[in-house]
Amino acid sequence: MDETVPAGRITTGDTIPVNEATPEATWQSEPRESDEELMVAFAAGKTDAFTTLFTRYKNPLFGFFRRRVADAAQAEELTQETFIAVLRSAPRYQPSALFRTFLYAIALRILHAHRRKAAFRATFLGERPVDLEPANHSDPVVELIMRDAVGRLDRIDREVLLLREFEKLSYAEIAELLKLPLNTVRSRLFRARTALHDLLGAPAPSRTSNAPATEVRA
Amino acid sequence: MIAATHPVSPEEVMALADGELSGAEASSVAAYIAECAECASLAAQLSATSATFAKWTVSEAPARLEEAVRSAADQNAHGRKPGRPAHNASLSIRNWKLWAIGGSGALAGVLILVAFEVSMRYYDDHAVTHHQIAASVQQDSGAENSALPAPPPAAAPARESFADVVGQSDKKVAPAQGLAMPDLAAPSSRAQKSEALEARSTAPPPRIAEPIAPMIAHSVSLTVQVRDRTASRTTLEALLTRHRGYAAQLTVNTAEGSQRSLQGSLRVPDADLAAAIAEMRALGRVETETQSGEEVTQQHADLVARLQNSREAERRLRELLSQHTGRIEDVLQVEEEISRVRGEIEQMEADQKVLEHRVDFATIDLQLTEEYRERLGGQSASVPMQIRNALVAGLRHGASTLLGMLLFLEEALPTALIWLAILAVPGLLLWRRYRRIRAKI
Repeated sequence: MDETVPAGRITTGDTIPVNEATPEATWQSEPRESDEELMVAFAAGKTDAFTTLFTRYKNPLFGFFRRRVADAAQAEELTQETFIAVLRSAPRYQPSALFRTFLYAIALRILHAHRRKAAFRATFLGERPVDLEPANHSDPVVELIMRDAVGRLDRIDREVLLLREFEKLSYAEIAELLKLPLNTVRSRLFRARTALHDLLGAPAPSRTSNAPATEVRA
Repeated sequence: MIAATHPVSPEEVMALADGELSGAEASSVAAYIAECAECASLAAQLSATSATFAKWTVSEAPARLEEAVRSAADQNAHGRKPGRPAHNASLSIRNWKLWAIGGSGALAGVLILVAFEVSMRYYDDHAVTHHQIAASVQQDSGAENSALPAPPPAAAPARESFADVVGQSDKKVAPAQGLAMPDLAAPSSRAQKSEALEARSTAPPPRIAEPIAPMIAHSVSLTVQVRDRTASRTTLEALLTRHRGYAAQLTVNTAEGSQRSLQGSLRVPDADLAAAIAEMRALGRVETETQSGEEVTQQHADLVARLQNSREAERRLRELLSQHTGRIEDVLQVEEEISRVRGEIEQMEADQKVLEHRVDFATIDLQLTEEYRERLGGQSASVPMQIRNALVAGLRHGASTLLGMLLFLEEALPTALIWLAILAVPGLLLWRRYRRIRAKI
């Protein structure tokens, strides 16, 4: 895995397998400025701060889009667009919010706009969505299986699952990003994991949720 | 196993695995999981699913992404707005579908415009045909009821007939009837027309009605906005003198705080009407202009005929009075009759002069308004009165705006409903298709 989790939010109870170490992972052992401090410094005019932020987040953000958009070029374009949006909105950044939440909120907004445009073009211009294109350095079979399984999930369940499994966001952060109640995030995540377990061919857990998933959309 | 039999929910088991439970809650759930094999199995299965899912790796961000973002950051550092990344090929000019849809839309627009133009022409032609039919019916009935010929229905036949009668085929003839701009070179021969009419009234009636030149009283209404009313008035007076015209009525408004204006009813010789109007137009910007011509040929001919008859009656009465004697009552009765006939003759002569004057001198209702210039000071109205007036004006404007909106809705609603009915089904289908695709992406 090429991504790393930039801001130390993984708790000790996290049993999800950690991604492979990357050069950026060495930051964990070095004293470094937080993302929020870097963003404030960049807003004050320090361009190096943005370079550091970009280095930290370029792969996670590209992975965020790459898993949600089949076309690699479009994923790259959306990543670039997100960083440009961060550049533009830096003067308005409030350090009260986590930079990671701020960044993924922008990314989600750009992703939704992209999907809206793609759906519009497919509806009115008859364009076919880009075929699945296996990413480099990944097993094409695994990718196809994963994409197919994820594509069968409910849209919000899928988003909750991806944000948790790959972006490593906490339940509270996911709830804030998707404008969902915390309990809804938890129940949807459980439902998504159970469904994914079924889709990937493993037997389903014998215990099922007793909490109804409340349908609250932003 | 029924979930309700466990004191902890599956979500709590998952949350513990995700590290989302606080200290006390985490300890309690962890303690229960340690005792419950089923819950431990669930936690293991969830972890296994996550581990399987984590095998989905993607490539690193390409190097060119870094270059592009660095370039944008440099632009931002230099105060320039970083541009958005280039759009994908779907918006490229090479996308033939875009061209096809755009071209189809443009073609549909052109077709709608052409259809609208054709329908309007059809409507106009239809309306003209109706007018022509109505005019010919009216003319036929007029010819039957009157001893005099009816005015020619159109310019071309009139020109031909008049040329035949007068023998002046090279002369221009005035247009027959209606609101068309008069041909101002011909109608000056009013005296000839009058003589012809008089001769016609005394001569025995012909078996076939002969068309004669029409007598048309022209009138023009003109509103012109000028820069300087005083200078324009001077020019106007010079214009009237040059064309041997006069002002029948003139009203000048120089009220403070409003547009200065001049309103007048001017009379100019019919032959000079075109030139006079052209010069009046040059005074400023023409706001409205209306021209009309009233056909008075038949009216004049009737008047001339009645006048001739009355004169003949007067002549016979005078002969009767001079040649025959009788009782004094009879003489007085004849003299009384002569007096009455004489009164009628004078009245008819006056009417004839007025009618001929209307033909000889066209009427121009002219209104000159000066461009309003606001001036500081000199407010005639007090402040409370101005506030009150502004309030009243505001209420009036508000009411008229509401009324206008209501009228617009009344006018546009049926058409909008028709379009809605036409577009509802395809719109609904497209919306469903959009929702279906949107759910898949």
